[in-house]
Amino acid sequence: MPSGALLLQSVILGLLLGGLYALLAAGLTLYFGIMRVVMIAHSAFLILAAYLAWWSHSRFGVDPLLSMIVTVPLFFGAGVVLQRALLSRLRAITLTMMSVLLTFAVALIIEGLLGYAFTGTQRRVQLGYGSASFGLFGARIAVVKLIAFGLAVVALAALYLLMKKTTFGWALRATIQHRDAARLVGIDTEKVAGYGFGLGLATAAIGGTALSLDTTIYPSLHWHWIGPLMAIIVVGGLGSVPGAAAAAVLLGLIQSLLQIPLGTTWAQTIFYLALFATLAFRPQGFFGGRLAQRF
Amino acid sequence: MPSVSKGIGLLVLAAAVLSFPALAPNPYILSAGIVVLNYAVLSTSWNFVGGFTGYISLGHGALAGLGGYGTALLVTRAGLPSFVALAVAALCVAALAVPIGLAALRVRGASFVIVSIALVLILLLVFQSWASVTGGSRGLVVPRPFPGLLRPEHHRVFYYLFAGLLALALLAWWVIDRSRFGLGLKAIREDEDKAESLGTPTFTYKLIVFVVSAGFTALAGGLYALWFGDLDPVFQFSILTGSYLVLMALLGGVRNLFGPLAGALIVGTALEYFKGQFGNTPLHLVATGILLGLVVMFMPDGVLPAITGRWQRLRKTPESSIREVTAAELRTERERAEAKP
Repeated sequence: MPSGALLLQSVILGLLLGGLYALLAAGLTLYFGIMRVVMIAHSAFLILAAYLAWWSHSRFGVDPLLSMIVTVPLFFGAGVVLQRALLSRLRAITLTMMSVLLTFAVALIIEGLLGYAFTGTQRRVQLGYGSASFGLFGARIAVVKLIAFGLAVVALAALYLLMKKTTFGWALRATIQHRDAARLVGIDTEKVAGYGFGLGLATAAIGGTALSLDTTIYPSLHWHWIGPLMAIIVVGGLGSVPGAAAAAVLLGLIQSLLQIPLGTTWAQTIFYLALFATLAFRPQGFFGGRLAQRF
Repeated sequence: MPSVSKGIGLLVLAAAVLSFPALAPNPYILSAGIVVLNYAVLSTSWNFVGGFTGYISLGHGALAGLGGYGTALLVTRAGLPSFVALAVAALCVAALAVPIGLAALRVRGASFVIVSIALVLILLLVFQSWASVTGGSRGLVVPRPFPGLLRPEHHRVFYYLFAGLLALALLAWWVIDRSRFGLGLKAIREDEDKAESLGTPTFTYKLIVFVVSAGFTALAGGLYALWFGDLDPVFQFSILTGSYLVLMALLGGVRNLFGPLAGALIVGTALEYFKGQFGNTPLHLVATGILLGLVVMFMPDGVLPAITGRWQRLRKTPESSIREVTAAELRTERERAEAKP
């Protein structure tokens, strides 16, 4: 039986990790809600943002957090371009399948270019406060993990307010709920869909910066993220943001706790087990709504 | 006389495939030919699911890897003769495909793709970590089935084995294509709701064809293991292999019997050439990604249909009254007609 302090530590780390998962899964859910697109390249953009944060730190010496000033608008633009110039041109009837391939292709291109530009060497941001930590009832929590979690929470809260309180958020939610009806009441759904994609990629920029603070990064790392993230959105119910967030925190917590008896590698399998179990017994997901039934 | 010209074309194709070992200038070229044939078998096997039902799997690389590891483990651990092990491994993978299909096919496309990717990732994880059984990252050596043969002879034998397997897979695809079962599958591809409402048992059909596809994929993977003799989880359970198969089938044309073969000839040859010229660089990924993106954006029906379409326009043959039109084509036609006035 592991000691109480170790358990507490795992619970806290699991919750902190779950926060990051929740932010990233929210982006994936947005894409799916808007266009029924499973965006494989989401985690590739995540790693790209982490690389940009690392590069700006090692090259210009700026704090990785400041790189967000550039990467967030950049990724927003990239998301709009991706949706308007590529995804919206696919045939509607085969969209779900073809968009997977298209975003998969984008992920391969990003991974290849990262490998070409920065080589396959593992990179890590060296920060002054990188090793700082504080104790809490015997558990040690690294400051950088707390910063990453804080970033995720702030971004999620901003996303929530944007979706619930602004006209654009209403338009976006209307587009997700019923595209034709949204068009009937005068919403330019094409434009809104493009901005929705931009918003999704902006979450990847924030997540990537948070990730770069305390993780060793390498070009093919995105495969380790896309699996768990896709499992999360299926478990949560495709298209449901609160469902994805709940599943993210829960699975992050279980993963962290399982690391005590099983080690890091085997603990990862929980995501895939949860994915298979969900599809076998409750294919619409545990928090899913109307949308998830048919996908 | 379309059937005669088809027969001649088939004979020419068979002659070209079978005479390649005699024409190959050195064993390296012959081994490259085997790799391309292996891709052709895998991609044709993929096309059982992708072509008939329109469900795109990115995980068939993992099914081939399972076939390879299954064969290797049955030979080394259980002491089975090589080709018995191959058959048993393929049956096991087909059996394993049933629960995977049950989970993946109950709902529509998106979940299927997610499961197929998850399959690759989880198998890579397991086979790398479970080193006591699989050899882990050190790899697994498979004993050769014909220990007495010299290397060029070994290549030659396996070339014909792969060619035989390709013929078998093509024949199976052809038979299904002509059957009532195949019609049901194609109905799923065009409009699953309508197919279901007309009484097609869509879930059962999808599951059966997925299992058949998995079986052929595992056979190809197992044969590769026996030929190559050395397995590494990183290459066996690679998402990249799965994407190559999709790229080949799409490029050749998924509705066409020989589409995946044509795609494998183009992409497989290019892959081997670039590997020989430049080695393994990250730019491989970029090139694959760009090619896949271009095919998806501009040629989702593949090159073979594009070429035959041009050929028919050149010969100006009158179009027959019944032709295969996809729901997507009908839709664009209708939209064009609506936009005109």
